[in-house]
Amino acid sequence: MTGRKILMDFEVTPTSHTLEAYAARGGYQALAKVLREMKPAEVTKEVTAAGIQGRGGASFPAGRKWQVVDPDDGQPHYLLANADEGEPGTFKDRWLLEHVPHKLLESMLIASYALCVRNCFVYIRGEFDLPYRRLAAAVEEAYAAGYFGENILGTGFSCDIYVFRGGGAYVCGEASSLLSSVEGTRGYPRNRPPRLTVKGLYQRPTVVNNVETLSNLAWILKHGAGEYRKVGTEKSPGTRLISISGHVNRPGVYEVECGYPWKKFLDEDCGGILNGRKLKAIIPGGISSQVLPGEVAYGLELSHEALWDVNSSLGSGGMIAIAEGTCMVRLLQVMLRFYHHESCGQCTPCREGMGWAHRVIDRIVAGKGRPEDIDTLIHISKFNDGTTICGLGDAAGYATVDFIKHFRDEFEYFIEHKRSKCDGRLECLPEVAHA
Amino acid sequence: MKHLIPEFEAIKKRLPAEGHSTLVLPCLHRIQEDRGYIADEDVDALVEYLGVPRIQIEEVLTFYTMLRRRPIGRWHLQVCRNVSCSMRGAERLIDHLSRKLGVAPGQTTPDGRITLSTVECLGSCGTAPVVMVNERYHELQDEQSLDKLLGELEQP
Amino acid sequence: MPEIFINGKPYQADPDQTVLQVCLANGIYVPYFCWHPHLSVVGNCRICMIEEEGRGVDIGCNMPVKAGMRVLTESEEVHAHRKAILQFITLNHPVDCGICDKAGECTLQDYHYEYNGAPSMSHEPKVTSTKFYDLSDRIVLDNERCILCSRCVRFTREVSKSNGLGIEERADVSLVRPSTDGSFKDDAYSDNVVDICPVGALLSRSFFYKSRVWYLTSTPSVCPGCERGCSIDIWHRKPEWFVQSLDPSENSAIARVTPRENPAVNGPWICNKGRDLARIFERKRALEPMLKGKPATPADALATARELLAAARHPVAVVSSWGSNEELDAFRRAFDAGLTVVAKHDHAPEPGEVVEDDVLIRADKNPNSARVRELFGNAAASIPAEADLVLVWGEGQAFSKIPPGAKVILLGSYLAPENGHADVFLPISIQTERDGHYTNFQGTVSGFSACFPKAPGVADAESLFAALAGSAP
Repeated sequence: MTGRKILMDFEVTPTSHTLEAYAARGGYQALAKVLREMKPAEVTKEVTAAGIQGRGGASFPAGRKWQVVDPDDGQPHYLLANADEGEPGTFKDRWLLEHVPHKLLESMLIASYALCVRNCFVYIRGEFDLPYRRLAAAVEEAYAAGYFGENILGTGFSCDIYVFRGGGAYVCGEASSLLSSVEGTRGYPRNRPPRLTVKGLYQRPTVVNNVETLSNLAWILKHGAGEYRKVGTEKSPGTRLISISGHVNRPGVYEVECGYPWKKFLDEDCGGILNGRKLKAIIPGGISSQVLPGEVAYGLELSHEALWDVNSSLGSGGMIAIAEGTCMVRLLQVMLRFYHHESCGQCTPCREGMGWAHRVIDRIVAGKGRPEDIDTLIHISKFNDGTTICGLGDAAGYATVDFIKHFRDEFEYFIEHKRSKCDGRLECLPEVAHA
Repeated sequence: MKHLIPEFEAIKKRLPAEGHSTLVLPCLHRIQEDRGYIADEDVDALVEYLGVPRIQIEEVLTFYTMLRRRPIGRWHLQVCRNVSCSMRGAERLIDHLSRKLGVAPGQTTPDGRITLSTVECLGSCGTAPVVMVNERYHELQDEQSLDKLLGELEQP
Repeated sequence: MPEIFINGKPYQADPDQTVLQVCLANGIYVPYFCWHPHLSVVGNCRICMIEEEGRGVDIGCNMPVKAGMRVLTESEEVHAHRKAILQFITLNHPVDCGICDKAGECTLQDYHYEYNGAPSMSHEPKVTSTKFYDLSDRIVLDNERCILCSRCVRFTREVSKSNGLGIEERADVSLVRPSTDGSFKDDAYSDNVVDICPVGALLSRSFFYKSRVWYLTSTPSVCPGCERGCSIDIWHRKPEWFVQSLDPSENSAIARVTPRENPAVNGPWICNKGRDLARIFERKRALEPMLKGKPATPADALATARELLAAARHPVAVVSSWGSNEELDAFRRAFDAGLTVVAKHDHAPEPGEVVEDDVLIRADKNPNSARVRELFGNAAASIPAEADLVLVWGEGQAFSKIPPGAKVILLGSYLAPENGHADVFLPISIQTERDGHYTNFQGTVSGFSACFPKAPGVADAESLFAALAGSAP
């Protein structure tokens, strides 16, 4: 219904995640083809030609990231799949790990071959329960079948994988912080330069890719970049997994072909807004993407370029639908509390700024807001934009600025009247009157 | 911790030779799984086994929310209070559990059986509100299902 | 050699320099907290922002030079960022200046006046934290003042290698904390973190609340604690701030000792023993000449000493490895080959003291053994049995090793039982009361200057030698 399928192209059953089921669907054929018929540089070329953009949040083209790694520099390289999935609103990598972990593993083998990686990792957030168990079991199945280890499929290519569990830190979803964590230290992000593809894990060339980004590779290498390009739009080839939650009737994970109309997605595929309400606002791709008013979203298609045009982003694909009557001030409060809790504390603007912004909005919600508070929040956001070591500060800033930009009247109301314009409501319940 | 060393040695087989400090977090997870928390003597033993500076372990222990140096209740109830869960009633459920258990988030019941915590996004937004009980996710919770869950926990 | 343009002017750079380094090398000041020339780059304070024309601002300490790049260090955007970063840093920083030892030499104070100067925008109560936290018995930490630049942590990782410090917790409740294995307490270089802390978060217990820094002046000197001879600054009261109604000994007291940067010897560091030089220099002084323990006039004591020297048939002199180059030269000139010279180590390692390491500390706990070797290379190691007169210069000579029956002339500075057993005791000045030079174990010569006046009855050893030998000085 939501366009062509690359990832969710099978029926989920109690055993569809097993190696047997995956192989029966044609799994590991792409790997065999790559190992037997292609050179590493050719694989990278194909991935670049496919134009697949990162699906972790930054939408950076994967091929461009890979090209920095020189296969012949004689030193170890590392590949890490980012399964830290901590961006609020996002739960689509989880779907892949629970239902088709072998697609990730096959894709990681293909990527490891292309990047001359001997040791690869999956960094999975520590809280994940079933996804971890399914992934770990899949790894053992793959080893048993000879897809990991020495001399895979007799081609001379060897590769080991380790599934590394995080310890509970959103910041570790940031690539350099993830590497600090894997190195056994605090998850402190690192300054660039050097880029991680030059000096990453243990100061070696390292590629960190999102689970979904990687999972697409098996299909891309099986069918070719040209076929991949036929799916989606010119600037956003392929599909995106959208995990939608909030005030919709059918939350969940959907695979959407890029270019698919947003209104159709919400009204038809997701069953519309709860209790027949209007859509007040929508967060497109994780809370670190800029919120859009409902009417704006209805006019757009789901593609990277359409959202960039309105200064927003598909980000991590974590979509949150917000119904009319929801207090946007309280919603921002929940978000700033989150960013404050998750700041690693390394750099000045974020460490001090997140706590400051959180305290300001707590004060507003407690009915003690001051007129200058809105300017203060914008000031904090402005000086967390492009001034920090990683994007956490920027993300909190974008969220704050756009919440205020589109819903300033609610903030002003709360400050002036010392209470919410929407009765502090976060839920969308049937018996509540419209705001 | 010593009895876990064979497991740790097995992990090394899948790590690069230059990557043995990678073991810090996996070892701490396993130690906590085994003992329920990470004791001072575990830190001593881990420093000796890994050969990393003690301060590195101590920094790591305070950085990650999942690691603890003190025991907690037999059952750890962690309620997500982030955006999508709040939009589906998490705040109500936190109040409900708080009243039912007689503790505030962050505290353990006087009989030591249940610890209540609020946590940030667990990656289960589509099935909000979600509550973690020890390692398991319990999704689509409401007051009734939580009461049932609590009832099941009471049984020894 | 790439050429870059800073504020419109061209400058030569090394290819592996950062823009911050090029700026500082050319006298273009850019503020920084976390960067330090001897520590790794972390780029966490974010105040060294520099604008690259057409590309916006970024931190200068991690900005590699590129041929032809054009940067601005005083643009509007740079100024706005500096001000904003200072807003963030002072957000929770306690206004402790009135009671903080760092006042007057605090980078945050200086930058606030220079780059911000505005009141805080915040209406929130400041985040409070631990104050007076004992990192060790030498260093006290105030977490509220700490700006988490991590210089102290990096120091213990990269320079002293004790791994004694780390950062615990997260966000704005992050805390510098010591390792619980006591490695910071055992770090012989721990006090350097007080110097490199840009604010008053890390303070020395021995200097705690002793004095405002603007009452003090520093005199360049050389640490006598071992043969490395680290360059130091000895801090003491400025004459215009001498106390009038308190104990006047305050005016000639060592307030503190800090390193004086010397790339050839010690870089910017010294060990903790160097910080504690007051323990050595401020021991009780011997100020009166004595003849067999009875007070005598300088003239009588000198005359007796000269008689003894003239009458001796096997005179021996035990020279001091704490004598300056000038004193040792004067000694040789005065006595030439007239007596047998024995060398000694005035000080030996104390129990518990670090003997030697691969950072700065050397096993020979004397500042000028090298010059003694240069001048008296053939010096005997012990006093010959036939000695009938021993001239002992300085500390460390066990009287039990002096042949019984030999006459003893002792030149010393500190009260000691031996002073009363010598036939003649003549008090001499100490390092802080005169100018001079030491030669370190690598042959590097370093100078020290007088900090304090001598007491009236005390002579400079240099002028005494000529008088004792009866020759012109």
